[in-house]
Amino acid sequence: MRHTKIGLHTFMAIPAFLLFSVFFIYPLFKGIGMSMTNWNGVDAAKFVGLKNFQDFFSDKRAINDIKTTVLFALGSAPLLNIVGLIYALLMNSNFKGKSVARMLIYLPAIISPLIMGYIWYLLLQPNRGFVYYALADIGKEYLFGNWLGSYWSSMVVLVLVNVWQYAGMTMVIYLAGLQGIPQELYESAKMDGATGRAAFRYITIPLLGPSIRINVITNIIGSLSVFDIVMSLTGGGPGYQTETLSIYIMRMCYGNKTGYSTAVAIIMFLIILLPVAVSLRLTRHKE
Amino acid sequence: MKKILSGLRYLVIAMICFMCMIPFLILAILSLNTPKRNFYEGNMFIPDFYFANYLEGWVKSDIGHAMINSGIITTMAIVLIVILGSMAGYSISRFNYKFNTTIYGVLLCCMMIPGIINTVPLYTLMIKLNAINTLWGMALVCATLALPQSVFVFAGFIKSLPREIEEAAIIDGCTWYQVFWKIIFPLLKPSISAVVILNGFGIWNNYSQAVFFLQDSSKHNVPQALSVYFQQFAGAKWNLMAATAMIAIVPVVVAFLIFQKKLMQGLTDGALKG
Repeated sequence: MRHTKIGLHTFMAIPAFLLFSVFFIYPLFKGIGMSMTNWNGVDAAKFVGLKNFQDFFSDKRAINDIKTTVLFALGSAPLLNIVGLIYALLMNSNFKGKSVARMLIYLPAIISPLIMGYIWYLLLQPNRGFVYYALADIGKEYLFGNWLGSYWSSMVVLVLVNVWQYAGMTMVIYLAGLQGIPQELYESAKMDGATGRAAFRYITIPLLGPSIRINVITNIIGSLSVFDIVMSLTGGGPGYQTETLSIYIMRMCYGNKTGYSTAVAIIMFLIILLPVAVSLRLTRHKE
Repeated sequence: MKKILSGLRYLVIAMICFMCMIPFLILAILSLNTPKRNFYEGNMFIPDFYFANYLEGWVKSDIGHAMINSGIITTMAIVLIVILGSMAGYSISRFNYKFNTTIYGVLLCCMMIPGIINTVPLYTLMIKLNAINTLWGMALVCATLALPQSVFVFAGFIKSLPREIEEAAIIDGCTWYQVFWKIIFPLLKPSISAVVILNGFGIWNNYSQAVFFLQDSSKHNVPQALSVYFQQFAGAKWNLMAATAMIAIVPVVVAFLIFQKKLMQGLTDGALKG
Protein backbone atom coordinates (compact mmCIF):
# COMPACT_ATOMS: atom_id res chain seq x y z
CA MET A 1 0.00 0.00 0.00
CA ARG A 2 1.57 3.21 -1.15
CA HIS A 3 0.49 6.37 0.61
CA THR A 4 1.74 9.46 -1.08
CA LYS A 5 -0.68 11.69 0.75
CA ILE A 6 0.96 14.24 3.00
CA GLY A 7 -0.69 14.70 6.36
CA LEU A 8 -0.10 15.07 10.05
CA HIS A 9 1.58 11.64 10.12
CA THR A 10 4.35 12.64 7.72
CA PHE A 11 5.49 15.49 9.95
CA MET A 12 5.74 13.61 13.22
CA ALA A 13 9.53 13.90 13.29
CA ILE A 14 9.28 17.70 13.35
CA PRO A 15 8.73 18.21 17.13
CA ALA A 16 11.76 16.08 17.98
CA PHE A 17 13.79 17.88 15.35
CA LEU A 18 12.71 21.31 16.62
CA LEU A 19 13.81 20.48 20.18
CA PHE A 20 17.05 19.08 18.85
CA SER A 21 17.67 22.11 16.66
CA VAL A 22 17.19 24.59 19.49
CA PHE A 23 19.23 22.78 22.15
CA PHE A 24 21.85 21.04 20.05
CA ILE A 25 22.33 22.22 16.48
CA TYR A 26 21.95 25.95 17.14
CA PRO A 27 24.49 25.94 20.03
CA LEU A 28 26.83 23.87 17.86
CA PHE A 29 26.94 26.59 15.21
CA LYS A 30 26.88 29.36 17.76
CA GLY A 31 29.94 27.75 19.31
CA ILE A 32 31.85 28.14 16.06
CA GLY A 33 31.11 31.86 16.12
CA MET A 34 31.97 32.18 19.80
CA SER A 35 35.27 30.40 19.30
CA MET A 36 36.47 33.36 17.25
CA THR A 37 35.80 35.91 19.99
CA ASN A 38 37.55 36.89 23.19
CA TRP A 39 34.30 36.80 25.15
CA ASN A 40 34.78 36.49 28.90
CA GLY A 41 31.18 35.68 29.71
CA VAL A 42 30.26 39.19 30.87
CA ASP A 43 31.50 42.04 28.67
CA ALA A 44 30.79 42.50 25.00
CA ALA A 45 32.62 40.01 22.79
CA LYS A 46 35.25 41.11 20.30
CA PHE A 47 36.05 39.22 17.12
CA VAL A 48 39.60 37.92 17.26
CA GLY A 49 39.67 35.53 14.31
CA LEU A 50 41.63 32.34 14.84
CA LYS A 51 43.62 33.69 17.77
CA ASN A 52 42.03 31.26 20.25
CA PHE A 53 43.16 28.33 18.12
CA GLN A 54 46.67 29.73 17.89
CA ASP A 55 46.70 30.25 21.64
CA PHE A 56 45.54 26.70 22.15
CA PHE A 57 48.59 25.18 20.52
CA SER A 58 50.96 27.26 22.61
CA ASP A 59 48.95 26.54 25.78
CA LYS A 60 50.98 23.95 27.68
CA ARG A 61 48.06 22.98 29.88
CA ALA A 62 45.83 22.38 26.85
CA ILE A 63 48.45 20.23 25.12
CA ASN A 64 48.86 18.23 28.32
CA ASP A 65 45.08 17.78 28.46
CA ILE A 66 45.03 16.43 24.91
CA LYS A 67 47.77 13.98 25.87
CA THR A 68 45.86 12.88 28.97
CA THR A 69 42.55 12.54 27.14
CA VAL A 70 44.05 10.55 24.27
CA LEU A 71 46.11 8.34 26.59
CA PHE A 72 43.04 7.64 28.70
CA ALA A 73 41.08 6.66 25.59
CA LEU A 74 43.94 4.55 24.22
CA GLY A 75 43.97 2.60 27.47
CA SER A 76 40.30 2.54 28.22
CA ALA A 77 38.54 1.92 24.89
CA PRO A 78 40.49 -1.21 23.78
CA LEU A 79 40.62 -2.64 27.29
CA LEU A 80 36.88 -2.18 27.76
CA ASN A 81 36.21 -4.04 24.53
CA ILE A 82 38.60 -6.87 25.32
CA VAL A 83 37.40 -7.33 28.90
CA GLY A 84 33.76 -6.98 27.85
CA LEU A 85 34.19 -9.61 25.13
CA ILE A 86 35.96 -12.01 27.52
CA TYR A 87 33.17 -11.58 30.06
CA ALA A 88 30.56 -12.17 27.36
CA LEU A 89 32.30 -15.34 26.10
CA LEU A 90 32.52 -16.64 29.67
CA MET A 91 28.86 -15.91 30.29
CA ASN A 92 27.56 -17.17 26.95
CA SER A 93 26.24 -20.54 28.08
CA ASN A 94 23.43 -21.69 30.24
CA PHE A 95 24.56 -22.20 33.78
CA LYS A 96 22.89 -21.84 37.11
CA GLY A 97 22.99 -18.30 38.46
CA LYS A 98 23.71 -16.79 35.06
CA SER A 99 21.23 -13.95 35.45
CA VAL A 100 22.54 -13.11 38.93
CA ALA A 101 26.12 -13.04 37.65
CA ARG A 102 25.12 -10.87 34.72
CA MET A 103 23.32 -8.51 37.07
CA LEU A 104 26.26 -8.19 39.47
CA ILE A 105 28.70 -7.51 36.65
CA TYR A 106 26.40 -4.87 35.16
CA LEU A 107 25.64 -3.19 38.48
CA PRO A 108 28.65 -0.81 38.60
CA ALA A 109 27.61 0.66 35.23
CA ILE A 110 24.36 2.11 36.55
CA ILE A 111 25.98 4.05 39.35
CA SER A 112 27.04 7.63 38.82
CA PRO A 113 30.68 7.68 37.67
CA LEU A 114 31.13 10.67 39.95
CA ILE A 115 30.14 8.63 42.99
CA MET A 116 32.23 5.75 41.70
CA GLY A 117 35.26 8.02 41.59
CA TYR A 118 34.64 9.08 45.18
CA ILE A 119 34.29 5.46 46.28
CA TRP A 120 37.63 4.56 44.73
CA TYR A 121 39.15 7.67 46.22
CA LEU A 122 38.05 6.51 49.67
CA LEU A 123 39.73 3.18 48.96
CA LEU A 124 42.96 4.46 47.44
CA GLN A 125 43.74 7.73 49.20
CA PRO A 126 47.25 7.79 50.67
CA ASN A 127 47.74 6.80 54.32
CA ARG A 128 44.04 6.88 55.11
CA GLY A 129 42.46 4.78 52.40
CA PHE A 130 41.02 1.35 53.00
CA VAL A 131 43.59 -0.35 50.80
CA TYR A 132 46.41 1.15 52.84
CA TYR A 133 44.91 -0.14 56.09
CA ALA A 134 44.23 -3.54 54.55
CA LEU A 135 47.87 -3.83 53.50
CA ALA A 136 49.10 -2.51 56.83
CA ASP A 137 46.88 -5.01 58.59
CA ILE A 138 48.78 -7.90 57.04
CA GLY A 139 52.10 -6.10 57.57
CA LYS A 140 52.73 -5.33 53.93
CA GLU A 141 52.18 -1.58 53.83
CA TYR A 142 55.32 -1.25 51.70
CA LEU A 143 53.16 -2.62 48.87
CA PHE A 144 51.05 0.51 49.02
CA GLY A 145 52.07 3.23 46.66
CA ASN A 146 50.67 6.71 46.52
CA TRP A 147 48.92 5.79 43.30
CA LEU A 148 47.03 9.03 43.04
CA GLY A 149 50.20 11.04 43.59
CA SER A 150 51.92 10.65 40.25
CA TYR A 151 50.82 11.06 36.68
CA TRP A 152 51.30 7.59 35.29
CA SER A 153 49.90 5.69 38.23
CA SER A 154 46.90 8.05 38.38
CA MET A 155 46.26 7.38 34.71
CA VAL A 156 46.45 3.63 35.26
CA VAL A 157 44.02 3.92 38.18
CA LEU A 158 41.61 6.04 36.12
CA VAL A 159 41.66 3.60 33.20
CA LEU A 160 41.23 0.56 35.44
CA VAL A 161 38.38 2.11 37.40
CA ASN A 162 36.63 3.10 34.17
CA VAL A 163 37.08 -0.39 32.71
CA TRP A 164 35.93 -1.95 35.98
CA GLN A 165 32.81 0.19 35.93
CA TYR A 166 31.75 -0.19 32.30
CA ALA A 167 32.96 -3.69 31.32
CA GLY A 168 29.47 -4.96 32.22
CA MET A 169 27.83 -2.61 29.75
CA THR A 170 30.14 -3.71 26.94
CA MET A 171 29.55 -7.33 27.99
CA VAL A 172 25.77 -7.05 27.70
CA ILE A 173 25.98 -5.78 24.14
CA TYR A 174 28.44 -8.53 23.16
CA LEU A 175 26.22 -11.11 24.86
CA ALA A 176 23.26 -9.92 22.80
CA GLY A 177 25.39 -10.31 19.68
CA LEU A 178 26.62 -13.77 20.68
CA GLN A 179 23.09 -14.96 21.33
CA GLY A 180 22.11 -13.87 17.84
CA ILE A 181 24.62 -16.24 16.21
CA PRO A 182 22.82 -19.40 15.09
CA GLN A 183 24.20 -22.47 16.85
CA GLU A 184 24.04 -24.55 13.64
CA LEU A 185 26.95 -22.61 12.22
CA TYR A 186 29.21 -23.93 14.97
CA GLU A 187 27.88 -27.45 14.55
CA SER A 188 28.50 -27.58 10.83
CA ALA A 189 31.93 -25.99 11.29
CA LYS A 190 32.74 -28.74 13.80
CA MET A 191 31.65 -31.39 11.32
CA ASP A 192 33.94 -29.86 8.75
CA GLY A 193 36.75 -30.29 11.24
CA ALA A 194 37.20 -26.66 12.30
CA THR A 195 39.01 -26.08 15.59
CA GLY A 196 37.50 -23.91 18.29
CA ARG A 197 39.94 -21.17 17.42
CA ALA A 198 39.03 -21.26 13.74
CA ALA A 199 35.33 -21.14 14.60
CA PHE A 200 35.98 -18.09 16.78
CA ARG A 201 37.98 -16.39 14.06
CA TYR A 202 35.69 -17.16 11.13
CA ILE A 203 32.24 -17.35 12.73
CA THR A 204 32.11 -15.50 16.03
CA ILE A 205 34.11 -12.39 15.17
CA PRO A 206 32.52 -11.66 11.76
CA LEU A 207 28.98 -12.23 13.03
CA LEU A 208 29.65 -10.03 16.04
CA GLY A 209 30.27 -7.16 13.60
CA PRO A 210 27.33 -4.95 14.63
CA SER A 211 28.04 -5.40 18.36
CA ILE A 212 31.72 -4.66 17.86
CA ARG A 213 30.78 -1.53 15.97
CA ILE A 214 28.42 -0.25 18.68
CA ASN A 215 30.89 -1.02 21.45
CA VAL A 216 33.97 0.39 19.74
CA ILE A 217 32.26 3.64 18.85
CA THR A 218 30.48 4.23 22.16
CA ASN A 219 33.67 3.42 24.05
CA ILE A 220 35.77 5.78 21.93
CA ILE A 221 33.29 8.64 22.37
CA GLY A 222 32.80 7.91 26.07
CA SER A 223 36.52 7.66 26.81
CA LEU A 224 37.47 10.80 24.90
CA SER A 225 34.80 12.86 26.66
CA VAL A 226 35.47 11.46 30.14
CA PHE A 227 34.53 13.93 32.87
CA ASP A 228 32.88 12.69 36.07
CA ILE A 229 35.28 10.00 37.15
CA VAL A 230 38.34 12.22 36.71
CA MET A 231 36.64 15.05 38.60
CA SER A 232 36.00 12.92 41.66
CA LEU A 233 38.97 10.56 41.64
CA THR A 234 41.88 12.88 40.92
CA GLY A 235 40.20 16.26 40.37
CA GLY A 236 42.62 16.60 37.47
CA GLY A 237 45.56 16.30 39.84
CA PRO A 238 48.36 16.05 40.67
CA GLY A 239 48.41 19.68 39.56
CA TYR A 240 46.65 19.76 36.20
CA GLN A 241 48.32 16.60 34.95
CA THR A 242 45.31 14.28 34.70
CA GLU A 243 42.93 17.01 33.62
CA THR A 244 40.99 16.01 30.50
CA LEU A 245 39.75 18.25 27.71
CA SER A 246 36.14 18.24 28.90
CA ILE A 247 37.21 19.37 32.38
CA TYR A 248 39.38 22.04 30.80
CA ILE A 249 36.39 23.34 28.83
CA MET A 250 34.37 23.62 32.04
CA ARG A 251 37.17 25.35 33.95
CA MET A 252 37.93 27.80 31.15
CA CYS A 253 34.24 28.65 30.85
CA TYR A 254 34.18 29.50 34.54
CA GLY A 255 37.58 31.15 34.34
CA ASN A 256 36.24 34.03 32.24
CA LYS A 257 37.59 32.53 29.04
CA THR A 258 34.28 31.60 27.52
CA GLY A 259 35.31 32.27 23.91
CA TYR A 260 38.48 30.26 24.36
CA SER A 261 36.60 27.35 25.92
CA THR A 262 34.40 27.01 22.83
CA ALA A 263 37.54 26.87 20.69
CA VAL A 264 38.79 24.04 22.91
CA ALA A 265 35.44 22.28 22.38
CA ILE A 266 35.83 22.48 18.60
CA ILE A 267 39.32 21.01 18.80
CA MET A 268 38.01 18.26 21.05
CA PHE A 269 35.27 17.59 18.52
CA LEU A 270 37.88 17.08 15.81
CA ILE A 271 39.88 14.78 18.09
CA ILE A 272 36.78 12.60 18.58
CA LEU A 273 35.69 12.74 14.95
CA LEU A 274 38.88 11.19 13.59
CA PRO A 275 38.90 7.82 15.44
CA VAL A 276 35.11 7.52 15.13
CA ALA A 277 35.25 8.03 11.36
CA VAL A 278 38.12 5.55 11.05
CA SER A 279 36.37 2.87 13.09
CA LEU A 280 33.09 3.40 11.24
CA ARG A 281 34.99 2.78 8.03
CA LEU A 282 36.83 -0.27 9.34
CA THR A 283 33.74 -1.95 10.78
CA ARG A 284 31.69 -1.27 7.67
CA HIS A 285 33.82 -3.73 5.72
CA LYS A 286 33.37 -6.48 8.24
CA GLU A 287 29.59 -6.50 8.10
CA MET B 1 38.01 -32.70 31.36
CA LYS B 2 34.77 -30.98 30.50
CA LYS B 3 33.75 -30.96 34.14
CA ILE B 4 37.01 -29.34 35.18
CA LEU B 5 36.58 -26.71 32.50
CA SER B 6 33.05 -25.82 33.54
CA GLY B 7 34.13 -25.77 37.18
CA LEU B 8 36.95 -23.45 36.25
CA ARG B 9 34.53 -21.23 34.38
CA TYR B 10 32.31 -21.07 37.46
CA LEU B 11 35.27 -20.08 39.58
CA VAL B 12 36.35 -17.33 37.19
CA ILE B 13 32.82 -15.93 36.94
CA ALA B 14 32.45 -15.99 40.73
CA MET B 15 35.72 -14.08 41.03
CA ILE B 16 34.61 -11.48 38.51
CA CYS B 17 31.31 -11.01 40.36
CA PHE B 18 33.17 -10.63 43.64
CA MET B 19 35.50 -8.11 42.06
CA CYS B 20 32.51 -6.07 40.93
CA MET B 21 31.06 -6.08 44.42
CA ILE B 22 34.18 -5.36 46.53
CA PRO B 23 34.01 -1.56 46.42
CA PHE B 24 30.37 -1.63 47.51
CA LEU B 25 31.11 -4.00 50.38
CA ILE B 26 33.98 -1.83 51.56
CA LEU B 27 31.86 1.28 51.20
CA ALA B 28 29.23 -0.36 53.40
CA ILE B 29 31.87 -1.17 56.02
CA LEU B 30 33.30 2.34 55.94
CA SER B 31 29.85 3.87 56.25
CA LEU B 32 29.17 1.98 59.47
CA ASN B 33 32.30 2.97 61.36
CA THR B 34 32.42 5.55 64.13
CA PRO B 35 34.27 8.77 63.29
CA LYS B 36 37.04 7.85 65.70
CA ARG B 37 37.48 4.33 64.44
CA ASN B 38 41.10 3.24 64.40
CA PHE B 39 41.69 0.61 61.77
CA TYR B 40 44.61 -0.89 63.64
CA GLU B 41 42.33 -2.00 66.44
CA GLY B 42 40.09 -4.95 65.88
CA ASN B 43 39.08 -6.58 62.64
CA MET B 44 38.85 -4.01 59.88
CA PHE B 45 36.23 -6.02 58.05
CA ILE B 46 33.80 -5.85 60.95
CA PRO B 47 32.39 -2.33 61.24
CA ASP B 48 31.09 -0.64 64.39
CA PHE B 49 27.51 -0.60 63.06
CA TYR B 50 27.33 3.09 63.81
CA PHE B 51 24.18 4.06 61.92
CA ALA B 52 24.29 7.70 63.03
CA ASN B 53 26.52 8.37 60.00
CA TYR B 54 23.54 7.83 57.75
CA LEU B 55 21.36 10.28 59.64
CA GLU B 56 24.06 12.94 59.74
CA GLY B 57 24.97 12.45 56.09
CA TRP B 58 21.32 12.61 55.05
CA VAL B 59 20.70 15.84 56.95
CA LYS B 60 23.93 17.67 56.16
CA SER B 61 24.15 16.85 52.46
CA ASP B 62 20.44 17.55 51.79
CA ILE B 63 20.60 14.57 49.47
CA GLY B 64 16.87 13.88 49.87
CA HIS B 65 16.08 17.19 48.19
CA ALA B 66 18.58 16.39 45.44
CA MET B 67 16.91 13.03 44.87
CA ILE B 68 13.56 14.73 44.37
CA ASN B 69 15.20 17.10 41.88
CA SER B 70 16.88 14.22 40.04
CA GLY B 71 13.58 12.35 40.01
CA ILE B 72 11.67 15.28 38.53
CA ILE B 73 14.33 15.94 35.89
CA THR B 74 14.51 12.27 34.93
CA THR B 75 10.73 11.86 34.70
CA MET B 76 10.21 14.98 32.60
CA ALA B 77 13.08 14.12 30.28
CA ILE B 78 12.01 10.50 29.84
CA VAL B 79 8.40 11.45 29.02
CA LEU B 80 9.67 13.86 26.38
CA ILE B 81 12.12 11.36 24.91
CA VAL B 82 9.53 8.59 24.67
CA ILE B 83 6.81 10.75 23.12
CA LEU B 84 8.94 12.80 20.72
CA GLY B 85 11.28 9.91 19.95
CA SER B 86 8.56 7.39 19.13
CA MET B 87 6.63 9.91 17.02
CA ALA B 88 9.77 10.70 15.06
CA GLY B 89 10.65 7.03 14.78
CA TYR B 90 7.22 6.29 13.31
CA SER B 91 7.30 9.03 10.71
CA ILE B 92 10.89 8.23 9.75
CA SER B 93 10.47 4.48 9.41
CA ARG B 94 7.08 4.50 7.69
CA PHE B 95 6.88 7.58 5.45
CA ASN B 96 9.79 7.83 3.13
CA TYR B 97 9.96 11.55 2.45
CA LYS B 98 13.13 13.43 1.89
CA PHE B 99 12.77 15.66 4.94
CA ASN B 100 12.27 12.60 7.13
CA THR B 101 15.41 10.88 5.87
CA THR B 102 17.31 14.15 6.21
CA ILE B 103 16.20 14.57 9.82
CA TYR B 104 17.20 10.98 10.52
CA GLY B 105 20.61 11.50 8.92
CA VAL B 106 21.26 14.64 10.94
CA LEU B 107 20.24 12.94 14.19
CA LEU B 108 22.44 9.91 13.49
CA CYS B 109 25.44 12.13 12.77
CA CYS B 110 24.90 14.12 15.96
CA MET B 111 24.78 10.86 17.93
CA MET B 112 28.57 10.90 17.55
CA ILE B 113 28.94 14.28 19.26
CA PRO B 114 29.20 14.23 23.06
CA GLY B 115 27.21 16.87 24.92
CA ILE B 116 30.20 18.66 26.42
CA ILE B 117 31.13 19.99 22.95
CA ASN B 118 28.23 22.45 22.82
CA THR B 119 27.65 22.97 26.52
CA VAL B 120 29.21 26.44 26.70
CA PRO B 121 27.18 28.02 23.86
CA LEU B 122 24.16 26.18 25.19
CA TYR B 123 24.84 27.83 28.53
CA THR B 124 24.45 31.29 27.00
CA LEU B 125 21.23 30.18 25.30
CA MET B 126 19.91 28.84 28.60
CA ILE B 127 20.58 32.18 30.27
CA LYS B 128 18.55 33.93 27.57
CA LEU B 129 15.70 31.46 28.03
CA ASN B 130 15.81 31.87 31.82
CA ALA B 131 16.36 28.14 31.98
CA ILE B 132 19.47 28.16 34.17
CA ASN B 133 18.85 26.64 37.58
CA THR B 134 15.47 25.29 36.55
CA LEU B 135 14.52 21.64 36.56
CA TRP B 136 12.61 21.96 33.28
CA GLY B 137 15.64 23.50 31.58
CA MET B 138 17.86 20.65 32.71
CA ALA B 139 15.22 18.14 31.62
CA LEU B 140 15.09 19.70 28.15
CA VAL B 141 18.88 19.52 27.84
CA CYS B 142 19.00 15.90 28.99
CA ALA B 143 16.13 14.94 26.67
CA THR B 144 17.85 16.60 23.71
CA LEU B 145 21.08 14.73 24.33
CA ALA B 146 19.22 11.41 24.47
CA LEU B 147 16.98 12.02 21.46
CA PRO B 148 19.13 10.74 18.56
CA GLN B 149 19.74 7.34 20.10
CA SER B 150 16.07 7.01 21.09
CA VAL B 151 14.83 7.86 17.60
CA PHE B 152 17.28 5.26 16.31
CA VAL B 153 15.89 2.60 18.67
CA PHE B 154 12.23 3.45 17.95
CA ALA B 155 12.72 3.68 14.16
CA GLY B 156 14.47 0.31 14.12
CA PHE B 157 11.76 -1.30 16.19
CA ILE B 158 8.84 0.14 14.23
CA LYS B 159 10.47 -1.01 10.99
CA SER B 160 10.38 -4.57 12.29
CA LEU B 161 6.62 -4.41 12.99
CA PRO B 162 4.30 -5.89 10.33
CA ARG B 163 2.35 -3.30 8.35
CA GLU B 164 -0.85 -5.31 7.98
CA ILE B 165 -2.43 -4.16 11.25
CA GLU B 166 -1.95 -0.53 10.35
CA GLU B 167 -3.39 -1.03 6.90
CA ALA B 168 -6.44 -2.79 8.31
CA ALA B 169 -7.03 0.16 10.63
CA ILE B 170 -6.75 2.58 7.72
CA ILE B 171 -9.40 0.64 5.83
CA ASP B 172 -11.58 0.89 8.94
CA GLY B 173 -11.36 4.66 8.66
CA CYS B 174 -8.50 5.62 10.95
CA THR B 175 -6.03 8.27 9.84
CA TRP B 176 -2.34 7.40 9.85
CA TYR B 177 -1.86 9.78 12.73
CA GLN B 178 -4.50 8.01 14.83
CA VAL B 179 -2.99 4.66 13.90
CA PHE B 180 0.21 5.66 15.62
CA TRP B 181 -1.40 6.48 18.96
CA LYS B 182 -4.02 3.73 18.93
CA ILE B 183 -2.08 0.83 17.46
CA ILE B 184 1.66 1.43 17.17
CA PHE B 185 2.36 3.19 20.46
CA PRO B 186 0.93 0.39 22.64
CA LEU B 187 3.11 -2.10 20.71
CA LEU B 188 6.29 -0.18 21.51
CA LYS B 189 6.65 -1.47 25.09
CA PRO B 190 9.93 -3.36 24.57
CA SER B 191 11.65 -0.44 22.92
CA ILE B 192 10.17 2.04 25.42
CA SER B 193 11.68 0.04 28.25
CA ALA B 194 14.99 -0.10 26.40
CA VAL B 195 14.97 3.67 25.92
CA VAL B 196 13.93 4.35 29.52
CA ILE B 197 16.64 2.09 30.89
CA LEU B 198 19.36 3.26 28.53
CA ASN B 199 18.73 6.89 29.43
CA GLY B 200 17.08 6.91 32.84
CA PHE B 201 20.16 6.09 34.89
CA GLY B 202 22.31 8.42 32.83
CA ILE B 203 19.96 11.37 33.36
CA TRP B 204 19.62 10.66 37.07
CA ASN B 205 23.43 10.51 37.31
CA ASN B 206 24.15 13.43 35.00
CA TYR B 207 27.00 15.54 36.27
CA SER B 208 28.77 17.16 33.32
CA GLN B 209 25.67 19.16 32.35
CA ALA B 210 24.49 19.69 35.93
CA VAL B 211 27.75 21.48 36.73
CA PHE B 212 26.72 24.16 34.25
CA PHE B 213 22.97 24.31 34.48
CA LEU B 214 22.19 23.50 38.11
CA GLN B 215 24.47 25.68 40.19
CA ASP B 216 21.89 26.88 42.68
CA SER B 217 22.00 24.60 45.72
CA SER B 218 18.20 24.31 45.87
CA LYS B 219 18.26 22.87 42.34
CA HIS B 220 21.18 20.45 42.76
CA ASN B 221 20.70 16.94 41.47
CA VAL B 222 22.24 13.92 43.20
CA PRO B 223 25.81 14.07 41.79
CA GLN B 224 25.96 17.85 42.17
CA ALA B 225 24.78 17.72 45.79
CA LEU B 226 27.21 14.95 46.59
CA SER B 227 30.21 16.64 44.99
CA VAL B 228 29.51 19.92 46.78
CA TYR B 229 29.09 18.08 50.07
CA PHE B 230 32.28 16.08 49.54
CA GLN B 231 34.31 19.10 48.56
CA GLN B 232 33.28 20.86 51.75
CA PHE B 233 34.32 17.90 53.83
CA ALA B 234 37.36 17.14 51.65
CA GLY B 235 38.13 13.64 52.78
CA ALA B 236 38.30 14.49 56.45
CA LYS B 237 35.13 12.68 57.49
CA TRP B 238 35.22 9.62 55.32
CA ASN B 239 32.68 7.75 57.41
CA LEU B 240 30.11 10.44 56.58
CA MET B 241 31.18 10.50 52.94
CA ALA B 242 30.77 6.74 52.70
CA ALA B 243 27.33 6.83 54.34
CA THR B 244 26.14 9.61 52.04
CA ALA B 245 27.47 7.79 48.98
CA MET B 246 25.60 4.69 50.15
CA ILE B 247 22.38 6.70 50.47
CA ALA B 248 22.94 8.18 47.01
CA ILE B 249 23.30 4.81 45.30
CA VAL B 250 20.38 3.10 47.06
CA PRO B 251 17.56 4.40 44.78
CA VAL B 252 19.55 3.53 41.66
CA VAL B 253 20.34 0.03 42.89
CA VAL B 254 16.74 -0.57 43.97
CA ALA B 255 15.43 0.61 40.59
CA PHE B 256 17.98 -1.61 38.90
CA LEU B 257 16.99 -4.67 40.93
CA ILE B 258 13.32 -4.10 40.16
CA PHE B 259 13.84 -3.57 36.45
CA GLN B 260 16.91 -5.70 35.83
CA LYS B 261 15.04 -8.49 34.02
CA LYS B 262 13.41 -5.98 31.70
CA LEU B 263 16.70 -4.16 31.42
CA MET B 264 18.67 -7.11 30.15
CA GLN B 265 15.84 -8.11 27.84
CA GLY B 266 15.36 -4.55 26.63
CA LEU B 267 19.05 -4.20 25.89
CA THR B 268 19.16 -7.44 23.94
CA ASP B 269 15.81 -7.23 22.15
CA GLY B 270 15.00 -3.58 21.78
CA ALA B 271 18.22 -1.71 21.49
CA LEU B 272 20.14 -3.80 19.03
CA LYS B 273 17.63 -4.26 16.28
CA GLY B 274 17.68 -1.86 13.42
